[in-house]
Amino acid sequence: MGKKLQIHSTISCDVLIIGAGGAGLRCAALLHEKNPALSIFAATKVAHPQKSHTSTAQGGMAAVDPRDKTDKAVFHMFDTWKGGDCSSDQNVVRKIVDGGWDEVRWLERKGIHFSRDEGGGISKRQFGGHTVDFGKGDALRAVFVADRTGKGIMDTTWGEALKGGSRFMNTTVVTELLFKTKEGEFVTVLARATVLATGGSGQVFRITTNCRNNTGDGTAVVLRAGLPLMDPEAVQFHPTGIVGPGILASEALRSEGGILRNRDEEPFMERYAPKMKDLAPRDIVARAIETEIRQGKGVMNPDHQIEHVWIDLRHLPDYVHEVKLKEVASFFKTYANLDSRTQLCPVRPSNHYHMGGIPTNEHGEVLTSANAVLPGLFAVGECACASLHGFNRLGTNSLLELLVMGRCVGERVLSYLTEKRAPAPKGAGEATLGLFAGYLEAQGGENVALIRQEMREVMTRQVGVFRIEKGIEEAIAALISFKGRAAKVGIATKDLRMNQELLERWELDNLLDNSMTIAQGALMRKESRGAHFREDYPERSDEFQHHTLVSMTEFGKVAFGKRPIDLSIYESGGESYERFGIMSRKY
Amino acid sequence: MNGSGSCRENIDGFVKNPINSDGRIKIVTKTYALTLNIRRYNPDRAASWVQTYKLDAGPILRFVDLFRRINVEQDATLAWASSCEHAQCGSCSVNVNGRPMLACELLVENAVTLFGTTTFKIAPVSVAPLVRDLVVDWEQAYERVHRAKPYLIKPKEVPAGMTEHRISPQELARYEEATRCINCFCCAEACISGNRTFIGPNAAMAGIVRLMDPREEEKGERLDLLYSEKGIYRCHSSKACSHVCPKQIDVAHFVALAKEGAF
Repeated sequence: MGKKLQIHSTISCDVLIIGAGGAGLRCAALLHEKNPALSIFAATKVAHPQKSHTSTAQGGMAAVDPRDKTDKAVFHMFDTWKGGDCSSDQNVVRKIVDGGWDEVRWLERKGIHFSRDEGGGISKRQFGGHTVDFGKGDALRAVFVADRTGKGIMDTTWGEALKGGSRFMNTTVVTELLFKTKEGEFVTVLARATVLATGGSGQVFRITTNCRNNTGDGTAVVLRAGLPLMDPEAVQFHPTGIVGPGILASEALRSEGGILRNRDEEPFMERYAPKMKDLAPRDIVARAIETEIRQGKGVMNPDHQIEHVWIDLRHLPDYVHEVKLKEVASFFKTYANLDSRTQLCPVRPSNHYHMGGIPTNEHGEVLTSANAVLPGLFAVGECACASLHGFNRLGTNSLLELLVMGRCVGERVLSYLTEKRAPAPKGAGEATLGLFAGYLEAQGGENVALIRQEMREVMTRQVGVFRIEKGIEEAIAALISFKGRAAKVGIATKDLRMNQELLERWELDNLLDNSMTIAQGALMRKESRGAHFREDYPERSDEFQHHTLVSMTEFGKVAFGKRPIDLSIYESGGESYERFGIMSRKY
Repeated sequence: MNGSGSCRENIDGFVKNPINSDGRIKIVTKTYALTLNIRRYNPDRAASWVQTYKLDAGPILRFVDLFRRINVEQDATLAWASSCEHAQCGSCSVNVNGRPMLACELLVENAVTLFGTTTFKIAPVSVAPLVRDLVVDWEQAYERVHRAKPYLIKPKEVPAGMTEHRISPQELARYEEATRCINCFCCAEACISGNRTFIGPNAAMAGIVRLMDPREEEKGERLDLLYSEKGIYRCHSSKACSHVCPKQIDVAHFVALAKEGAF
């Protein structure tokens, strides 16, 4: 057996940011701008901030240009409220929508390479669910950096944080305000304020567009600290992920005329949405594909062992493949070796985004209950839930959120920094050392990757696009058995330096914790709302017109709370307030 | 397939259903018997060795999928790096038969075609210090990009009466390709100039982009770095950088522009 685990050193700083994606580093950039003397540490699980998941966002960032004569902030607020199935907090919606264009200007001044129109201005494009005049027409509202908007935002926020003097702690994870690094050391970090910006937990599902590192570490650490998560059951599935790498094949495929076909090549959307067919909203298309697969009309990909349907683009003119759909067509070529001009391409619903997360107020301050703030702890980005997106996120709203909220959290942190830095509490880190020593000492023949694979299968099948009481209960029972098996994983690599086995063992616990809250939330919410669809309760119910708060005392044992959904736009009686009541989500 | 004889073609062997009389969707399953000779390194014992893994894999599995399968089926201790797994983050660069590539976009079938073999030697990149097996310390490689200051050192003021700068699509097009760089360091790995003496193609390009960006006012400092001891005169114009770039960026073109001073 190796050396006894210990805390290697203690670092002090003013602000610790955990997670160095777009949200975390926008916050860092604001802090540097306002107070260059601050010492800021940004810890990231990946090898460098530029490797963050933010870099993979493609399409655009929604923001209403105040000079635009056709678009108005109130239209964007309405779309977000309606898209979220009346479950967004309206104070947050107003704040983020109002702050959008300032962020576009900030990015542009800091050197982002936005795509330009002929006059040299910033180009804009249309995106699903974004309308003018309360649904009457399409809005040109998304600014973009070709097909790599997230990368543009990541490069800009990373550059600004670097310029300001942020210290990056790469390949570093949070275990309880304690860190494990590639040097194999545990470090205590004492900060006056801490910002959680750890991103999503898409790896809970087998089929996901999320990167390998999105294992819900931040949300799991919060849960283990006894704090609640909000709306974990609100998980978005994109209808057409590309089988294999799980990249999104955007809606553009269908808006350009792509047709979904099942095993028998039948254009099945005609049966599910006779009028809209392949252009029906995301959730309807996702459920239709899932139904076909469940009825045995899917196709099994022999290499990845994933069932899928086809998207048929063969009838589209060459210029559509070569110009309009260039990027997606190249994905099919690169990852499936298929030519979309002559061959059918495999797609299926894929986990994409978690609307729920660590509950915060509109300033990004972490809440311990419906209305009590935990001083000094902030959360922002996908790991947080303020909630802008309610139960269903509109495309291009997540990049908007991480920038506006990143800045707002930075401003809030500044006002908080008058507090003195506290010494490390007695016994700090002991829980972490005990946890990791336990992993290293455990004996048994179980394999982390195998348990993880089974867990992701169960979550995809039972707590995915379709949910039903019996299925969710089976998933919960399976999760408990996985937890038991996980205790019997023996780890051969004992040295701590880049110990992938140990890291993945810890990630497995995080994934299981996240899965359990998703499943329990889905079981409790006996209704369908936004992306959460219960076959046994297919309608939305006013009884559940509130946010879920869920905390977990021990694995599988959960306690629920409620948090009211903010209706301040509606209640203000201001411009078009009547549009912000509870309405049905029909398009 | 490049006739190593180890590819078993099994038409209709796996999925029986979707074969129409006209044969439009034929699910063809193939299996390649692969040999991966992977360079291992254990920092605890400072031990280095080559380990051979044999596995059968279908044509569109990627090398990251193979590593994952080795972890599940054969050896949980093999450490390898990846994150986004669709060529957008550049964490999974490795040398495959001596060529730096992204493991996330290398399909088995394409690798067999490219190298004409089903045996692959996989080694970590040497452009950054080795940590374990295929995992390197990217932080140290990034030091060079940081030295090139990947941000506007002195951003130009937005002209009075305007809210943003105007940049025409034509002007942007001159340097837009270079902004697609993901810092996977494949170019630096392939570069025939030494990593110790040359700042490297990608870091040089990070500076060149901002020299071409009309919003950067601090040109002098950037030129000082580019024309310094570790700057672009270390480049021998082999164009290896452009040849291996997974994003198909013509890196050598930008270095050539810098040599000419044609920003």
